[in-house]
Amino acid sequence: MISTILLLGTILSTVPGRLEGVAGSVRRNVLLPIGRGLDRLLAPIDRAMVPAATAYNHRFGRYFGEMSGLQLAFVAASLGALLTAGAWAPLVLGGLLRTLALASIWAIFAMSWDIQSGYTGYISFGHSALSGAAGYTMAMLLAHVDPALPLWITAPLSVLAALVLGLLIALPTLRLEGPYFSLITFVAVLLFYRLTTAFGWLGGIPGFSEPDVFTWNPVVRYYYMLVPMLLIAAALTFLARSNLGMILVAIRENESAVSAAGIDPTKFKIWSFVLSSIPMGIGGVLLVGFTGNVDPNTFVVADNSIEMIAMAVVGGMSSILGPLGGAFFIEIFSHEVLHGFSTPVRYLFLWTLVLLVLVFARDGLFRRIWHRLGDVGGGEG
Amino acid sequence: MLQEIGTLVLQGAMISAIYALIAIGFTMIFGVGGVLNLAHGALIMAGAYVFGILVTETTVDWLVIHPAVAFPITVVVVALLSWGLYQGLVRWIEENVVITFLATVVVAVASTELVILLFGQSPMTMTLISGAVNLEPYGINARPRYVQFVGFVVSWIAIGLLWYYVQETDDGRSILAASMSERGARLTGVDLHSVHSKTWLIAGALAGIAGVFLGTTGSATPLMWLNPLALAFIIVVIGGIGSIKGSVVAAYFIGYLEQFTVTFAGQGFRGILSLVVLVIFLLYLPQGLYGREYVHD
Repeated sequence: MISTILLLGTILSTVPGRLEGVAGSVRRNVLLPIGRGLDRLLAPIDRAMVPAATAYNHRFGRYFGEMSGLQLAFVAASLGALLTAGAWAPLVLGGLLRTLALASIWAIFAMSWDIQSGYTGYISFGHSALSGAAGYTMAMLLAHVDPALPLWITAPLSVLAALVLGLLIALPTLRLEGPYFSLITFVAVLLFYRLTTAFGWLGGIPGFSEPDVFTWNPVVRYYYMLVPMLLIAAALTFLARSNLGMILVAIRENESAVSAAGIDPTKFKIWSFVLSSIPMGIGGVLLVGFTGNVDPNTFVVADNSIEMIAMAVVGGMSSILGPLGGAFFIEIFSHEVLHGFSTPVRYLFLWTLVLLVLVFARDGLFRRIWHRLGDVGGGEG
Repeated sequence: MLQEIGTLVLQGAMISAIYALIAIGFTMIFGVGGVLNLAHGALIMAGAYVFGILVTETTVDWLVIHPAVAFPITVVVVALLSWGLYQGLVRWIEENVVITFLATVVVAVASTELVILLFGQSPMTMTLISGAVNLEPYGINARPRYVQFVGFVVSWIAIGLLWYYVQETDDGRSILAASMSERGARLTGVDLHSVHSKTWLIAGALAGIAGVFLGTTGSATPLMWLNPLALAFIIVVIGGIGSIKGSVVAAYFIGYLEQFTVTFAGQGFRGILSLVVLVIFLLYLPQGLYGREYVHD
């Protein structure tokens, strides 16, 4: 409870003073003192972690970004909590482990969306088509080819299918800009959805129930989802911090300047599609292993794509850890915090939250927390 | 064969008239403000549901209004909703295209949940005017309903009024000017903010009319925003962004194309051919039939 209050305080103390007047005085008289109190509380942790952070920065800072002591403590604590969740989560709440497993899959989706759309500014509304391609390939292989195909054959083929579809969408659409690009990806999802209902061999609305879930043991299932997610997060963070990530951001900022510098933006946009499609495929395979059923409403519907975007937006676009945090935040928020409400009410809460973040905190909540944590040490760390 | 063609011509004309209304509102907002309003479909849905609430006794039992009175009320309500959406949300974020884009799509998705919460999943049916004409004595195997004729006529009246407003009145010409060059319009003393508000009002009114006819020819459902939005986009791209004439022409093209697919290939393929046509246009003629180069300012 106290940690929730601290977290809220951290967020609120950084909300820009858009609602001038009242908000301004609340901010001066209430939030800033809370923020200062928070600083005083957290500064010792920061100082204690500085040696570890220095060692980390020395070794890995170049590849994964430098961190202050407190930031390192935050990452280490979150990582520790996630890795040990198999032991503690069932004790806290009945369905928490399931929620965390689902959040891991959605974190993969949100990060994949972000490495392409958040970084390059080419907003895709059709990312669920990629995970859908992976899920459907897996289901069709099992249903139409051989129900006994092992995972090590079906999974790579499914990821390959996601990649192929990603490139199929990429190659013609990269000539388009801005809203045109977004809407054609939107159309790609609608087309995919229509096809699943128009052609019987694509399963129609009920879909396929041939694929088996990976395991019925909730703890093992959680780790099946968590480990790939962490690996993908590390890989994407590494890539986003490299020159590649820098070029992708440069494309978003000013594409003609990128080509004027002698770099072919199209080539890098295709790379962003590749980087995005592969984890989307992996996420699709994991979702098959989680639900055991492949149907248009779990895999294809446009709402899925919009939910991925919502997660990335809430966490903070164009950072990898932001969407990750956003996915966990939204999944826990809608499945645990709003547990007692009906589905439409939960989603209404969720979409309102996303709207508020879009209007008042465009950079996302997690990025704010992150920078706030970095500021505690006052730049010594 | 001749009968089928007769049906095709008739039904196509009626559905296309509604498509034109949907597309014009969408293209005006994009052409003038540069804002892609993905909540446009939600406004159309609002039209259908508001009309449904007003005319059916089952939703709100003390409130039953004659359809002829409910129709203008619905149009005004949806126009105000559209205006409210602009004043309450879009105007604060419209300088960032991506954020606006995301915010309006979130509004659209949220509207589905709101409708499910208030009216449930099941479709809501309503009547504007009942009855149908039997055309079999004239060799056409169709029974078009009166409401379809009314839709056709109202669509053309609305388009005509809009055409007159934009071409012939100073007020309307300022909208036209703003769509050509924002800077030029501002330099000649046009208040851009009021121009934007007006386009949202007009687009909302057109969406309201379209919503009433979609609701009365079919039914109102929580997901009914998706199809009109996709249609609006397809039509606008084919017709050329910002062009009213292009929207009308493309609406009839797409309307007939869909009617053709439904008649000769089956209901399941409705829309697929239009999406394919859209992709071809995006790749080979992205400015559309009557599009013009963007004037950057």
